[in-house]
Amino acid sequence: MAAADSPSAALRRRDLCSRGIRLAGKMRSDVVDLLDTYVEWQGLDASASVAAVEGVPAAAAERWDEQTGTQRLLENLAAYRAFRALLAQMLEEQREQLGEADTVLGRALAAVLLQVSAFAYHLEELLRLESRGPPSEEGAGPPPLPHLSLFERKLRGLGVLRELAQWAVRSARDLRQLAKPSPGSSSAPSPAESP
Amino acid sequence: MPPLLLFPSLLLLCLRLLRAEPLAYPAVISPQDPTLLIGSSLVATCTVSPDFHLKAEDLYWTLNGRRLPAASYAALSPTTLSVALARLNGSKQQSGDNLVCHSRDGGILAGSCLYVGLPPEKPVNITCWSKNMKDLTCKWAPGTEGETFLHTNYTLKYKLRWYGRDNTCQEYHTAGPYSCHIPKDLALFTPYEIWVEASNRLGVAVSDVVMLDILDVVTTDPPSDVHVSRVGDLEDQLSVRWSSPPALKDFLFQAKYQIQYRVEDSSEWKVVDDVGNQTSCRLAGLRPGTVYFVQVRCNPFGIYGSKKAGIWSDWSNPTAASTPRSERAAGSCDPKGGEQNTTLRRELKQFFGWVKKHAYGCSNLGIKLYDQWRVWLQKSHKTRNQVGSSR
Repeated sequence: MAAADSPSAALRRRDLCSRGIRLAGKMRSDVVDLLDTYVEWQGLDASASVAAVEGVPAAAAERWDEQTGTQRLLENLAAYRAFRALLAQMLEEQREQLGEADTVLGRALAAVLLQVSAFAYHLEELLRLESRGPPSEEGAGPPPLPHLSLFERKLRGLGVLRELAQWAVRSARDLRQLAKPSPGSSSAPSPAESP
Repeated sequence: MPPLLLFPSLLLLCLRLLRAEPLAYPAVISPQDPTLLIGSSLVATCTVSPDFHLKAEDLYWTLNGRRLPAASYAALSPTTLSVALARLNGSKQQSGDNLVCHSRDGGILAGSCLYVGLPPEKPVNITCWSKNMKDLTCKWAPGTEGETFLHTNYTLKYKLRWYGRDNTCQEYHTAGPYSCHIPKDLALFTPYEIWVEASNRLGVAVSDVVMLDILDVVTTDPPSDVHVSRVGDLEDQLSVRWSSPPALKDFLFQAKYQIQYRVEDSSEWKVVDDVGNQTSCRLAGLRPGTVYFVQVRCNPFGIYGSKKAGIWSDWSNPTAASTPRSERAAGSCDPKGGEQNTTLRRELKQFFGWVKKHAYGCSNLGIKLYDQWRVWLQKSHKTRNQVGSSR
């Protein structure tokens, strides 16, 4: 983390992390509300077991505490870019099915998609501060999804939203780790933040 | 593929299905996502892949999360279980009922969405209006069943009568759920044919065609610059002035206006209907010392010789003003009651004076007699009240 050496960069990173933690907290709360709306709209059982879904990044991380800051940011960014594409597709499918009808679900999906896009941008900013810069998006998008039946789409949507809710928790913790002063840094510790 | 490689490949496939891609379901439901009429019946089958070593008797069905009775199942083969659904009700949600095939432990093996409903009904009551002759907005009502079970798409179409080609309106829900807005490229002096097509998974229904000339359905913005002011010291009057809607200034040959007003503490409006083409009006018969809210609206009828009644604009924002206080009432504790009694008594005195002077045969009639009568009246009221309260 080359840029972390400069005190102003450290301050800027801490500031970005604090704002990111707040964003993640809000996103988590909105995704949980969206899940309720989604389950009701699709007539699904909220406790239906949907395991890993192809193309949906899993929030579960092994050896999470051993990850470097850059690694955390890169994994987060890859995840949110994937969620951005998945949510856009869910919104598109919703419109295909119901036309341009202004539904509660459509509005909530669009709002969360916006939050996910904003969070991905926030992560890119943090990566720029690490003198690393965000990786290019060209060819990094998720592979085209196979043709699914309508019921399979419903379940995939449930899987996407559940995983996104988990990611919001993980991201807040990742950013809190990132906000901690690196060893040897002279800057004061940041105030505790909670999502 | 060499036979030796087949087994590891299958094993890999199974592992993939179980771990990384559980959405590649181990079973298939037939029919997939069918659309059915309310009251119809359906036999669906769930066939498990032989690779998963599941038997038909280990499976069960749910519809919208509720387990279906085993009596409706039939094992058609060692790996296929059917379920019979009779007299289906309309779909519980527009996204389709979830018919799901489960393994014994509750895991989801496959699902199918059932769309049960009715074909759309003919849209009715199409009404349109053009704001300042620049655009056209139409509203309609869905058929009686509306969109109870299946999502219904509505498309408003229009064409110039005689020689036009079909156009499709693009901006929906602009004036409520069943509405569409055509923002530009509208012709004047030739009628349009307008109709609405309703479609859902079970069919299409087309409304009757409405014929209209844009000039016959013009409405406009509410009148601007509404001013309400006092008329000198007249305590029961207010003067209202306004400007005609600017967008139609050059066309408003026969515009008519309406005024409505109400007192501050009432929600009931009084409408003045006979304002005609004027842009000012005097409200009379108002209460002294009272705040009034006033609104004005415009009906731009008769544009370019149109014979239709025109469409009223929205009301202007309320403008408030108060009437002057009555001077006689000032400083009085009970202005209305006291004032009325004094006036009545004065009039009676004058009346009896006149009677004395002119009615010679009734010489004992006078104001004293009136006062005696009032005393009697009060006593009789008191007695009546006591009797009433003792009951």
